[in-house]
Amino acid sequence: MIKLIFRRFLWGIPVLFFVASLTFSLMHVVPGGPFDKEKNLPPAIQKNIEEKYHLDKPVITQYLLYMLSLSKGDLGPSYKYLGRNVNDIISQTFPVSLELGLWAFVIAIILGISTGIISAVRVNTLIDRVSQFVATAGISMPNFVLAVLLILIFSEYLKALPAALWESSRYAILPSLTLSLGPAAYISRLTRGSIIDILGKDYIKTARAKGLSEPLILFKHVIRNSISPIITILGPLGATLVTGSFIVEYIFSIPGMGKFFITAVTNRDYPLIMGITLIYSALIIIANIFVDILYSVIDPRVRMK
Amino acid sequence: MSQQDTKERENPPLSPFFKGGLILAFILVPFLFPACKNRNTESRQIKGEKVFRMVIASEPPTLDWSLATDNVSFHVITNIMEGLTQYDDDLNPVPAIAKKWETSEDGKKITFFLRDNVFWNDKVPVTAYDFEYSWKRLLNPATGAEYAYFLYDLVNAYEYNSGIIKDQALVGVKAKSGKVLEVTLKKPAVYFPSLTTFMVTFPLRKDIVEKYKDRWTDPGNIVTNGPFKLWKWEHEYKLELTANKDYYGEKVKIDWIKMYVVGENNTALTLYETGDLDMVSIPPLAVNYYKKSKEYINTPQLRGYYYGFNIRKKPFDDMRVRRAFSMAIDRKRITDVLKGGEIPASSWIPKGMFGYNENIGLKFNPEEARRLLAEAGYSSGKGFPEVNITFNTDAENKLIAENVQSQLKENLNINVKLDNQEWKVYLKTLKTKPPEIFRLGWGADYPDPDNFMNLFTSSSGNNNTDWVNPEYDRLIAMGAGTKDRALRLKIYDDAQKILCEEDVPIMPLFVASQNLLVKKYIKGFKPNAMDILYLKKVAVEK
Repeated sequence: MIKLIFRRFLWGIPVLFFVASLTFSLMHVVPGGPFDKEKNLPPAIQKNIEEKYHLDKPVITQYLLYMLSLSKGDLGPSYKYLGRNVNDIISQTFPVSLELGLWAFVIAIILGISTGIISAVRVNTLIDRVSQFVATAGISMPNFVLAVLLILIFSEYLKALPAALWESSRYAILPSLTLSLGPAAYISRLTRGSIIDILGKDYIKTARAKGLSEPLILFKHVIRNSISPIITILGPLGATLVTGSFIVEYIFSIPGMGKFFITAVTNRDYPLIMGITLIYSALIIIANIFVDILYSVIDPRVRMK
Repeated sequence: MSQQDTKERENPPLSPFFKGGLILAFILVPFLFPACKNRNTESRQIKGEKVFRMVIASEPPTLDWSLATDNVSFHVITNIMEGLTQYDDDLNPVPAIAKKWETSEDGKKITFFLRDNVFWNDKVPVTAYDFEYSWKRLLNPATGAEYAYFLYDLVNAYEYNSGIIKDQALVGVKAKSGKVLEVTLKKPAVYFPSLTTFMVTFPLRKDIVEKYKDRWTDPGNIVTNGPFKLWKWEHEYKLELTANKDYYGEKVKIDWIKMYVVGENNTALTLYETGDLDMVSIPPLAVNYYKKSKEYINTPQLRGYYYGFNIRKKPFDDMRVRRAFSMAIDRKRITDVLKGGEIPASSWIPKGMFGYNENIGLKFNPEEARRLLAEAGYSSGKGFPEVNITFNTDAENKLIAENVQSQLKENLNINVKLDNQEWKVYLKTLKTKPPEIFRLGWGADYPDPDNFMNLFTSSSGNNNTDWVNPEYDRLIAMGAGTKDRALRLKIYDDAQKILCEEDVPIMPLFVASQNLLVKKYIKGFKPNAMDILYLKKVAVEK
């Protein structure tokens, strides 16, 4: 098993290499450069800057230089935040996004699975309809609308929670709720569908015929067999949540990494674009390996080969 | 074997270790991360100390004043540093670290005399050598400073910066002693004392920069000489400045400045409403709502917004068409839509700056516009080719473009199309293939007409219109070196007439405005037309 996991990690290296190469090519194809400004620079200054950051060299040379420093774990200097390198930026902002993302992840799982189970067990009752209505609304409602609604209710009217900033644990409540409700709704619908499917299986009928109690059937046979589709989405979902969200971090002024998914591109901050893309890809790879391990633990029919 | 036994063999129960681990992972992991710890406990702030809380729109890209180019960095740097001069309330350059300066008869040599009692916050005296080092570092090609051109008026500055000469000793700045700095200019520049208010000309400590290299601006490393000093810099979140007890000037009235990085305007407004901020800028759409508030302050800025014509492209190679367009636009209608206190403008030098003349420029006159268009061969807009107004994607730019589009249809019967582009793509388009009509703006680097008028000279890198007029170039060069104010005013009037009435390579639309909310208990805060944030006179009285 450990050998297999190790092999899967090794496979991640060429994947990351491919992602790095593709991202590098794409960002150089997009028009506009990192030092293009509204106020045009005199050619002499433009030349000095390009020399300083090796932008005067052919793209293939820039690519080789980048790959060389990447192989040493150096993600290079930011072109926007002068004097800071991308390693520093990511190491300062990633823990914030990670914390916020984990809160959101936990809320999404607890809320999603519990409402999904209740809906499935009480299918077509009022409680099912209400929870599915809320779930559909949760999926459809954009983050920024939800964030504004929550700020209006909890900060403006009730004065119960801070509207923004990142000073103590209280400050994490509204952003993590905003971030989690969409995924929670999705998990809820998935759980419900999967459980309803399992509840119709013959072996559940048999268990009932044998006189097993409903809670026992539910927790011992139904949930365990219906969990696979949920686990499948947890990997990518977890990676997405912990790398931060532009909208949520922007609205709540949280010093996380999410905002760079947009601003690094608009600033054409090439090293930062590369850095966050690689981190995101690495997390997706790790999350998928983790999901595969979970599969094999939960369902022995699935073995890592 | 019962069916249940079979099932249990196929799906063995989860091990207690796994179950427990999973639950623990989900519930406890967030608590293990310290990112959201109570940050208030880290501050050295003592109860009763005066704190001023404000917002900056983004993380300062750098606090290295040789490299900084943006307003956010500028807001921080102008409160922790001082240069040879600074602005008074009317934006006139007045002595700061320089107690006085003398200009030679031919205007090409300026000697700055430094005060004796100015210290860095590590108690080392500020000397003329710190200025000489800073200016030469700015011009050193290896520094890659975008604003190196600020000092191109110095002898050999351009040559050194562009690598034509290697010997920095030839550059026209020299510390004659610890307290005397001599500057030699290529040509007279009456605005030079305004340039020395700007951050890129502030002094630098060679020992600190060389010791800490890229990290020299980190709290703990950086040394400064302004009214405040950098205490803490939590990247992407907040900066804390504290009063500098070694500052040579009047003692400041606040103990702390907290600058929160809040990019979203509405979030900043909410924080202001909930009492978490003392000052906030209002997004244009919210201005109407707050206009009657006693906390509302509107300040016109030295920042112009204009549409430029690519005069190489038909039909704008004909100045009658350009004039017709400029006369067909009622600027007031645009500012009425924007509602942010903007000032309609038909001339280029903005209101509040020396040289402003509201009588210059083509005023709204649709009849004359139609006549000019007909004269150019497009009577009632017939046969007018398809043209685009191109702008960078932004809600305000779109609003303006739609307004101009409808006025052109209304007054000239011309259909123009709108084309918006992402910012960097737009900049690339402007550089490589300027559109027929494009939008741009210009904010003053220093409050002198030279900074605005120089933009459209033939040698300017920011003249995207391709327009060249030798007479205009001559007037602008003359204006830069003319000391006599009346004569200078006349020179700029003549130049503005060429720019905005005769050749019309651009049509100015309006002068931008700053809208702020400031709590009533904040005293001594005076916004200015350059958006320079001097906080040393601010007091918190609550």
